[in-house]
Amino acid sequence: MSIIPVRRAATVGAVALIALGTAGAFASGPAYAKANASVTVVHGIPGQPVDVYVNGEKTVPGFQPGKVAGPLSLPAGQYDIALTKPGDAIGSALLTVNDAEVPADANISLVAHLDAGGKPALTPFVNDTAKLAAGKTRLIVRHAAAAPAVDIRAGGEPVFEGVTNGKEGKADLDAGTVSADVVLAGTDTRVLGPADLDLAEGAATIVYAVGSAEDETLDLVTQSITGLHSAPGGVPSGNGGQADRGLSLPWYGVGAAGILLALAGLTRLAVGRRR
Amino acid sequence: MVALGVSLVAVSGVVACQSQPAADFATPVAVAPSSAPAPVRVPVSDGSPPTTGADAPVRLSIPALRLDAKVAAVGIDERTGDFAVPPSVDRVGWYRFGPGFSAPAGSIVVAGHVDSAAEGKGAFFRLGSLEAGDVVTLTGPGGKDRAFEVTARERYRKTAIPLEKYFARDGEVRLTLITCGGPFDAATKHYRDNVVVTAVPRA
Repeated sequence: MSIIPVRRAATVGAVALIALGTAGAFASGPAYAKANASVTVVHGIPGQPVDVYVNGEKTVPGFQPGKVAGPLSLPAGQYDIALTKPGDAIGSALLTVNDAEVPADANISLVAHLDAGGKPALTPFVNDTAKLAAGKTRLIVRHAAAAPAVDIRAGGEPVFEGVTNGKEGKADLDAGTVSADVVLAGTDTRVLGPADLDLAEGAATIVYAVGSAEDETLDLVTQSITGLHSAPGGVPSGNGGQADRGLSLPWYGVGAAGILLALAGLTRLAVGRRR
Repeated sequence: MVALGVSLVAVSGVVACQSQPAADFATPVAVAPSSAPAPVRVPVSDGSPPTTGADAPVRLSIPALRLDAKVAAVGIDERTGDFAVPPSVDRVGWYRFGPGFSAPAGSIVVAGHVDSAAEGKGAFFRLGSLEAGDVVTLTGPGGKDRAFEVTARERYRKTAIPLEKYFARDGEVRLTLITCGGPFDAATKHYRDNVVVTAVPRA
């Protein structure tokens, strides 16, 4: 299978990146010191290894389909991204995106995939890296395949319905293993899976449906983002009261008796002296 | 009579002073990880689903407390969002979402009851009496031992304890033991404080 450079797909990607950058700029608020953006590259085009160039520099050589590269820590700014056949000159790139805006502090996945019509595209997704409550996990499912709208099911129940190419479904769930599959929207016609997903606590698991339904190359690619955990609310570990190391009642009694005795003695002394 | 009274006051005073818990001690543990600079070559990983390996400690022994307790893998109490400490007081609970037995980094957390109204004294009844240098041994899967040495004992009000630090998954590897302590409120059946003991791998 060969990939034809598709200028339109690339343009769409570039526009999306720029739109993303603009949104990021407005949302970022006061001028804090900006952290680098975290950028991960996901390869979801079957059958075609590529070299990934960032600003003309070969960054990920021999990048195989189904693999995930990164994260790259990139200062905010504009980037030229190009995908070539391994060893090819950057001038004969399969896909290029120029002046892609990478906003500060963002966590982005840049996904090389097929669009709904089966043409290669490079689509940026913004990853939700908000902290998770203790015990929770985040599942994000992205449609990046040349396939119609699908439902994503967990344990046989639809969790994300009518997801189309370039879109995602997202939910925070209890950590643990779920059996997930992908069916044509509104049907029981399975196109992918079932696959057991071990959803780690405090992490986001991003599952990409990639490939082509027509070419029967549909597959799943998974990316994980860890470090989103929170500490438990507390550690309640006793309700008996035996370990209270405060002064126990008998000793208070001894002290009180002592004070009374001393007072009584002093009174007698005072009275005796008066006589 | 005055002398007797004064001496009784003095005795009770001495007992009161002695019953104060020993002062906390601590050796700081580096928590902040060093963030790697932008790599020239990007790590490439397989896009297959990750698996969480079984790395659960099974026993905890502390010779200084004559303690050898079974360790249960526990998570979060769904109702409260709190650490799900095993209800049985002779067991302690390892926080299965955090670093495990053989973790190279972060805080391995084991919490246990100081006591319970139903079962009396718990495995961690005397945790607060551990001293610097005391040995704590975790037994992992397959009977492998990992020895730690106490470096810190701290007591915090539950409302002020820096739990994020104790449940960190990065920084130097350490074993964190947690139980309850401090004054007990008989009305709410809660201790006011948490006692935290930190131990680092023995050299």
